[in-house]
Amino acid sequence: MEPEEIIATAGNGLPPEVGCEADHRGVMLRVPPEHWLAALAFARERLDCDFFDWLTAVDEVDQGFSVVVHVYSLAGRHHVLLATPLPRSSPRLPTATGIYRGAAWHERETHEMFGIGFDGHPHLAPLLLPDGFEGHPLRKDFALAARAAKEWPGAKEPGERGVPGEPGERGAPGERGVPRARRRGPPHVPDGWGPA
Amino acid sequence: MGAGVTAGTPADGLPARSRGVIALLEENCTVCMLCARECPDWCIYIESHQEPVPGAEYGGAGDPARAPAGRGRQRVRNVLDRFAIDFSLCMYCGICVEACPYDALFWSPEFSYAETDIAALTHEQGRLREWMWTVPPPPAHDQGQRPPQD
Repeated sequence: MEPEEIIATAGNGLPPEVGCEADHRGVMLRVPPEHWLAALAFARERLDCDFFDWLTAVDEVDQGFSVVVHVYSLAGRHHVLLATPLPRSSPRLPTATGIYRGAAWHERETHEMFGIGFDGHPHLAPLLLPDGFEGHPLRKDFALAARAAKEWPGAKEPGERGVPGEPGERGAPGERGVPRARRRGPPHVPDGWGPA
Repeated sequence: MGAGVTAGTPADGLPARSRGVIALLEENCTVCMLCARECPDWCIYIESHQEPVPGAEYGGAGDPARAPAGRGRQRVRNVLDRFAIDFSLCMYCGICVEACPYDALFWSPEFSYAETDIAALTHEQGRLREWMWTVPPPPAHDQGQRPPQD
């Protein structure tokens, strides 16, 4: 199927709330959450996309999350992306495992990494993270513990020796330390983090 | 099994601009700290101190443009004490090479520096300087490309 044909088929068979767009990367169907399963079933049956490639999420920050699925047609060699927006507070979606069984693993991973619930999933247990891990590490607001434990090598000023921020370490011999502008922190680390 | 079945091994030659290891031309380093700050992996460690520049005091006699004598500060320059890259953390993104405004960091195609001790993957200044001898000359400009500006 050519992209135009996919879009024509999707436009006829899917509810009008589903947005269809195509660019050089292929066809993207933007689906409201309430039509999610219907759109997946449509992709499998009518668009002949019988191969489930992957499912994941994107943290859109202010716009919540997007869950994205990529499916492919082995016979027609065409592929389709489907995406649905979810609110940031209590993001939930019905499971796609009834349509694509292979989605089970991907939904477990997405649940673990983004904290998105998949209602009806047969076994939504933690998958990859260590036992007792707290938080959802692929959310944009998740700060890495390794960043808090390690001293930022970029904290030193040019010509500064020893521990950054300690007085008397900077300046020519026999001279008082030079007053400097506000000390910069490492990017993407919350204020107040770091070794004491 | 015939010879030459596997193509693209290092024995066949590496592609241009291969990223094997990062070399430091320490003579060019001004300790500006830009590479250490841009590094997403926090794997560049720099130590430095400041030394007075002889004969470059502000407020020198007979120079009306300078501050009155005795009120100026001694001019100083930064001296590099340590420059190290931890290649056990480095993800070979090349941001440091791009960020360096003074052409002190270069890609070398050398890749065989595996170690049995992870700490030995932190290459200190001397070792980083030695990699400079393996840095290839920059590739020729593509046809139609804008001529170099410098």
